[in-house]
Amino acid sequence: MSGCGFLSRGAAALAAAATAVRASRVPRIFTGTHRRLHTSLQSCSFAKELFLGNIEQKGVFPFPEISQDELSEINQFVGPVERFFTEEVDSRKIDQEGKIPVDTLEKLKSLGLFGIQVPEEYGGLGLSNTMYARLGEIISMDGSITVTLAAHQAIGLKGIILVGNEEQKAKYLPKLASGEHIAAFCLTEPASGSDAASIQTRATLSEDKKYFILNGSKVWITNGGLASIFTVFAKTEVVDSDGSIKDKITAFIVERDFGGVTNGKPEEKLGIRGSNTCEVHFENTRVPVENVLGEVGGGFKVAMNILNSGRFSMGSVVAGMLKKLIELTAEYACTRKQFNRNLSEFGLIQEKFALMAQKAYVMESMTYLTAGMLDQPGFPDCSIEAAMVKVFSSEAAWQCVSEALQILGGSGYMKDYPYERFLRDSRILLIFEGTNEILRLFIALTGLQHAGRILTSRIKELKRGNVTVVMESIGRKLRDSLGRTVDLGLTGNLGVVHPSLGTIVEEQLVLKRVANILINLYGMTAVLSRASRSIRIGLPNHDHEVLLANMFCVEAYFQNLFSLSQLDKFAPENMDDQIKKVSQQILEKRAYICAHPLNRTS
Amino acid sequence: MGWVQASLLVRGLSRGWGSICSTALSRAATTQVSLQAPRGLHCSAVIHKDDVSLVPRPPEPQRKPIKVPVLHEELFTPSATGEKDKASFLRALRSFEEHSVRKRGHVDFIYLALRKMPEFGVERDLSVYNLLLDVFPKEIFRPRNIIQRIFVHYPRQQECGISVLEQMERYAQVDLELLCCGAKPVLGLLIYVSSRPECWDYSSFICTGVMPNTETEFLLTQIFGRTSYPMLKFLRMKLWLTRFKNINPYPVPRDLPQDPLDLAKLSLRRMEPDLSAKVTVYQMSLPSDSTGTDPIQPHIVGIQSPDQQAALARHNPSKPVFVEGPFPLWLRNKCVYYHILRADLPLPEEEKVEEIPEEWNLYYPMKLDLEYSRSGWDNYEFDLDEVTEGPVFAMCMAGAHDQATLVKWIQGLQETNPILAQVPVVFRLARSTGELLTTSRLEEQSPPHGSPRDQEEDALQAQPQQG
Repeated sequence: MSGCGFLSRGAAALAAAATAVRASRVPRIFTGTHRRLHTSLQSCSFAKELFLGNIEQKGVFPFPEISQDELSEINQFVGPVERFFTEEVDSRKIDQEGKIPVDTLEKLKSLGLFGIQVPEEYGGLGLSNTMYARLGEIISMDGSITVTLAAHQAIGLKGIILVGNEEQKAKYLPKLASGEHIAAFCLTEPASGSDAASIQTRATLSEDKKYFILNGSKVWITNGGLASIFTVFAKTEVVDSDGSIKDKITAFIVERDFGGVTNGKPEEKLGIRGSNTCEVHFENTRVPVENVLGEVGGGFKVAMNILNSGRFSMGSVVAGMLKKLIELTAEYACTRKQFNRNLSEFGLIQEKFALMAQKAYVMESMTYLTAGMLDQPGFPDCSIEAAMVKVFSSEAAWQCVSEALQILGGSGYMKDYPYERFLRDSRILLIFEGTNEILRLFIALTGLQHAGRILTSRIKELKRGNVTVVMESIGRKLRDSLGRTVDLGLTGNLGVVHPSLGTIVEEQLVLKRVANILINLYGMTAVLSRASRSIRIGLPNHDHEVLLANMFCVEAYFQNLFSLSQLDKFAPENMDDQIKKVSQQILEKRAYICAHPLNRTS
Repeated sequence: MGWVQASLLVRGLSRGWGSICSTALSRAATTQVSLQAPRGLHCSAVIHKDDVSLVPRPPEPQRKPIKVPVLHEELFTPSATGEKDKASFLRALRSFEEHSVRKRGHVDFIYLALRKMPEFGVERDLSVYNLLLDVFPKEIFRPRNIIQRIFVHYPRQQECGISVLEQMERYAQVDLELLCCGAKPVLGLLIYVSSRPECWDYSSFICTGVMPNTETEFLLTQIFGRTSYPMLKFLRMKLWLTRFKNINPYPVPRDLPQDPLDLAKLSLRRMEPDLSAKVTVYQMSLPSDSTGTDPIQPHIVGIQSPDQQAALARHNPSKPVFVEGPFPLWLRNKCVYYHILRADLPLPEEEKVEEIPEEWNLYYPMKLDLEYSRSGWDNYEFDLDEVTEGPVFAMCMAGAHDQATLVKWIQGLQETNPILAQVPVVFRLARSTGELLTTSRLEEQSPPHGSPRDQEEDALQAQPQQG
């Protein structure tokens, strides 16, 4: 709890100077030396350490920077892409016709946007995650194009980059990078959303052992109608180490030309209507064994890696959209007059701008912090951070787009303005790439698993009477009592895992709160880090950043306090039992069961 | 109610403990003895308590000992038409008023009329109760001074008034299902029940019956005044009956469907908590007259939920499943019988441990493989011994309880549950229906359907023959 306090106090003091520095234990982290991003070797486990109550400052302070060369490089890309999007892309038409025009797609291909992260030797742009995020901001001006591109490269061809062998990369990546082939990611099935065990699509090895025969249907495949290369997940029979035959998931690269690949008609959707979403059927499709992605039976890990790696970019996409929205709505608010005053003079309208700016600032900070972590050498595991960015940014997007529409009032509801389209488009953000509910569980459980392993081993040592561990614990307690360290309050009074955590997997309401706290903590860290850097290097309007950072930190601090108090089972703030009871009663009857207010008994 | 307490106090002081026994809260002791005891001034209401039977079947008037001299019986003798309905009942009321202008013997008449109400089928009609109250002469029994108010003024008339209200309450429908469904008794319910000794046998009950209305209130104030016992009773009814009206979370419709098929559907739905369960009519009942010499075909209705279907599909085919029954189910005053298809609890070693597959959830870990190294001190749970029963796979209600009929049910089930073709089905049918077996055997060694309660079930069976 004092952790939140630390962050909030730090935030409040930021206006004067980077007091947060003093509150933290590392004496001087802003020494002014220009840290080269690509030289740090420490592994990325900021979020996991957060679960143990430690703030791993090395990973997050100072805010990651890119070199001047890289900056000018990315600016070269950004210019033409931005021009193309503002001048040539007609989002309204795309939305109405439910299709991205061919020439727009061609132009996107020629800009290289289909191979942003494909390494240069395979004909892609080979951009780092940070630069990918930067481009995402521009692309976000049209939701349909964003989703089409994301489905192509964030998940569609990501498998080949991540686990593909040399032949596969050489064979497929160049054409995919140029956009000649479009990729699609085929995982979801009618009976299988996040439940991998219920995948029905099956691949059976042919008798000559050269082919897999693929049969099954996949639903809601983005780019399903356009794609010629599919990353398909199917069950295969695998001989286990103990000799038994088991069904395991395997990933395949499937070309449309293999035959037997058909797709249904594009689905009618609420938003992102220009993107192509449809069913894809595989009927006796013969997939050569060399097209197995990764190992046979190793598809589960492949799918998990692809999904985990694709998420962080949503933060910058939403931030880009919000920045655009702020421009549009500010224009309106400063010109529309009511009672002889501009809308911009009304406090309730001003509030909405502050909210949008704050959310955009936080998600931007989180995204680039995460991107910076991901760009560190090795394969840093930033899946929790990426999931946090996704959850935060998608929810902020929905909230902010709705507020932006509200500023316009009735006009916002009309199709003449783009706001309703933004609203429809942004709704999918909370759903795809793992629904936010599932991601919250992922954040909380992965973190708790990490913390639990370390803490249970510590308990074991304590029980065994390991003197150093005992002394360490006592020492830590002593230091804690002197108020010098940060205890995030997540590990209980004794600093151990609470016994009731055995059933924690089932306590979804608790997990949600843990995830919310962690997301807030990560957001606070990101804005503090970024705002401190802005002050230090004297970026323009850094005082504005400090205001935003302060606003967010205070708000998040109180939210966290509330969530922490709710974690106590018997706290008055904790309504879990009642919530569960109410929903049980409703679900038992499958209806709203209150009597009508007009009912009488006599 | 300050005045009530005050009057009770005064009465207690003046008459001692004995009279207090006659007050509402302690009628239990007197209920038993007063059947034979001469009707005292203050326990005259008690004498009619024997009418009170809170079992779901309507009280049979002729069984009740008639203590009151049958003064006005002739008024209720069926007229030429022989119809016993509301009109003739009202005619009787009117003829009493014509018969005795001064309303002599109106208390006896009202008691008689109360007993006759079920016969005329007006026991649930509020307007009839109001008319009955209207028989009382007005203004005479109203207490006019403080002394009259403290001591019960015209006790016999007041108690007669209370009887009218009590009968309204009694025909409030009583749901014995509450006993089974385990509705939580509210405090008020307990207080109310404790004030009604006749309900002490039933730990909880429910009234949805005749609710007095403002006209009743108006009549009572006219007859007995605001500060009287019938008025108190009225206020209590107003207070509690509304609260009890919807206390049953599983209400039974007041008018049960007459068609045995509909009744069976209703009962099955009532027993099956899963709303996804599907009711299937395996066989319609065929009336005997249309088929002529063919044997009558009883109806067979079954219910099975998707979960039960899945459980049956998982059933080990080498183990038998059992058709058991008939078991009784009471719906208001009707008893229906059902059969279940069940299996024995699988042996512990046979039970497949549901493992969490390693690669199951694409997004988050389904279990944290942590070693908590817990000891007994970390177990906060209460020690509960839960007796698990074998799974029930389906339920059915049929017009006949013989094996031939139930085989048809199993055959019908087989269409949706192909595993039944491989599983041995054992019929374990009781020769009679449930708890009635013992009485019928003990008393008369009669064939199973001879017991009185089976008549309804027989009627159920017989209906297809008649219809």
